[in-house]
Amino acid sequence: MSEPTPYVRKIDRRTALAWIGVVGAATAVGAGVVVYGPRVGGEAEAKGYGTDPKLVAPEKAPWPRLLSDDELQAAAVLADFILPASGAAPAASALGVPDFIDEWISAPYPDQLKDRPVIRDGLKALARKSPAERPKAMAALQAGGDAFFKRFRALTIGAYYTTEEGFKDIGYIGNIAREADEGPSAEVKAALDVRLAKLGLKGVSA
Amino acid sequence: MAGAEPYDVIVVGSGAGGGMSAYHLTRSGLKVLMLEAGRNYDPVTETPMFNIPAEAPLRGVGTPDKPFGFYDATVDGGWEVPNEPYTVAEGSEPFTWWRPRMLGGRTNHWGRISLRFGPLDFKPRSRDGLGYDWPITYDDLAPWYDRTEKLIGVSGAAPPRGLTNTPDSPPGCLMESAPPRAFELFYAAAFEAMGIPVVPMHGAVVTQKMEGRNTCIFATPCGRGCSIGANFQSTTVLIPPALATRNLTVTTNALVYQVDLDKAGKAKGVTYVDRVTGEHHTVTGKAVVLAAGSGETARILLNSKSPKFPDGLCNTHGMVGRYLMDSVGLGVAGQFPALEGLPPTNDDGQGTQHTYVPWWGYDQHKELGFPRGYHIEINGGRRMPSMGLAGLLPDDETSVGDDLRARLRQRFGSVIGFDGRGEMIPNDDCYCELDPKVKDKWGIPVLRFHWKWGEHETRQAAHMVTTFLEVIDRLGGKPIGKVERDGRRAISKGGEMIHEVGTVRMGASDADSVVNQYGQAWAVPNLFVTDGAVLVSSPDKNPTLSILALAWRSSDHLATLAKQGAL
Repeated sequence: MSEPTPYVRKIDRRTALAWIGVVGAATAVGAGVVVYGPRVGGEAEAKGYGTDPKLVAPEKAPWPRLLSDDELQAAAVLADFILPASGAAPAASALGVPDFIDEWISAPYPDQLKDRPVIRDGLKALARKSPAERPKAMAALQAGGDAFFKRFRALTIGAYYTTEEGFKDIGYIGNIAREADEGPSAEVKAALDVRLAKLGLKGVSA
Repeated sequence: MAGAEPYDVIVVGSGAGGGMSAYHLTRSGLKVLMLEAGRNYDPVTETPMFNIPAEAPLRGVGTPDKPFGFYDATVDGGWEVPNEPYTVAEGSEPFTWWRPRMLGGRTNHWGRISLRFGPLDFKPRSRDGLGYDWPITYDDLAPWYDRTEKLIGVSGAAPPRGLTNTPDSPPGCLMESAPPRAFELFYAAAFEAMGIPVVPMHGAVVTQKMEGRNTCIFATPCGRGCSIGANFQSTTVLIPPALATRNLTVTTNALVYQVDLDKAGKAKGVTYVDRVTGEHHTVTGKAVVLAAGSGETARILLNSKSPKFPDGLCNTHGMVGRYLMDSVGLGVAGQFPALEGLPPTNDDGQGTQHTYVPWWGYDQHKELGFPRGYHIEINGGRRMPSMGLAGLLPDDETSVGDDLRARLRQRFGSVIGFDGRGEMIPNDDCYCELDPKVKDKWGIPVLRFHWKWGEHETRQAAHMVTTFLEVIDRLGGKPIGKVERDGRRAISKGGEMIHEVGTVRMGASDADSVVNQYGQAWAVPNLFVTDGAVLVSSPDKNPTLSILALAWRSSDHLATLAKQGAL
């Protein structure tokens, strides 16, 4: 199996520059791409976005990202193992899911701090495998119901389907202004009638 | 500002109680100063209407900074407010206190459920000896409910059902709700089979053409607020017309901590600290209205100490902070194969639920073993996916690729959540007082809460679980996650339903209450309370509509007294 195309962080230049300012050890290698050097350990947990963030045009999450490039590449491989491209639906990596995983596990909040060691250790282990070993390793994680795999998969599903592309794939057709809410169609009501009848319950069309 | 002093009325707070008070008093020709502890807030420019999770940090999930999610219309608040701690007494059950710091307060993000209290709710003690009677009846408040519904815009019109203790609004008060969605039609079949009526929800959403208001666009969650003002927020419905009278001055970041008295013992104004500069200011008025929220209003009174009131203003009988109540809350979700794979529909709806289940067991309490009931708020449908989407799938499944995509598509919209909201009877173990040691950033003593659910409530909670499991079963579904059947363990934390009320209750005499039926303090006749603190009972119906109606009635009384020169 040939080496896959490396994953490139999907961030804008402004954010990249902000991170460089925060992290210091990072080096910009071009618009939208940041490579991190080793972090100096022991620093205090970063600040969150605060209690009054801008909501209409949210700023990117302000905390420095923690994943090494190897871990990020492993995240991309695993995210695309879970949700590879399919027909019109893009692969997870094409929607920036690996960046999201990085944002998530780097966040200074309790739920995310709980995920951090689980996800990072899992990604580190996957990163140590050669590209040729990874498909088998990932299949083993999946088959074994591994805790890291299940959590990573849940995060990948959440990150993927909270995008416009994810909405399209799952069949969410809301978030548009309407003159009126007409309620369910006759087709939906007829389907409900059949299903309720099977449950011994009265239908909805009557 | 000095030129305007003394104001006719100083209103502390800008939410349901404060907003309605300012609305009516300014329109009655009185000069009003409104003091809000939080910052100014403009729903027109600050509401993230169509934003999707992918645009927000962490896909918008709740964090300690934004507990109800990134896009929730809560500023500088939540379960904790920076620099403004509170404490829970040792040995108490958990209590948690939601506060925002923004103009309009909690009306910006609230659930918009607008149910009238019923006739029985005002006379619980007369009914079964438990709790306390209000000094008013349903009929006293009914005209104010009518006016409030017509002003704020409430959906849920339906032919009169005459259900016990579940008032039908008179014709012309309510607008028609959007039709029930597929999941709402679906669950109604199970309740119908159980003999339990399902009726239109009353929601503070403009669903039909209404003079001076925009109509709902049937998209975007109300909890973010509404930039077009199609639902009720104090900041879109009450404060703008009050400002238009030119009788209203609003000062934000003004954290009031004391009511000041003159030599005769009447209120002459209030003192506040500016949360930004830390400076202390005193303002004067001919009357003071407290509507800072039940907790904060009690705190202001308790911190207003004087030789005449050494234990806090109006607290001679030790009643301020007592009779603290919340709603009983509990939820169970189910997944329903019968809802899988339905043709895609737009289930965004009108923000509130379109239908709900009022309490049905008024004549069964003896057999049920608990004295008060609950209504059921039910959510579901094909709503905008969130980070929790993987919860659609069974815990033990690990599919990937096209298999995973197909399973998600199949199950999308097949989950329904059932939430009970029940009445709590006040008890001696639930109250707030000043913490003897802890102070906020500005040196002002903070509240210490005491909480203990009674058996009336924990048994009711257990019944909620039983009911929800039966409904889920009848609909061929399976509950999601581990379901706790022990009511004491399953019940919400005190304060968690954000319906904390009753710390400055009204009554028929100063022996058993702090204020009269108009929220007028027995001890200080030009001091009024118009927030949830005055509630005598905490029925299952969400309190905001009643707070609005009571605030309007009280403000009308205040305005009448002012015109008579009787303050």
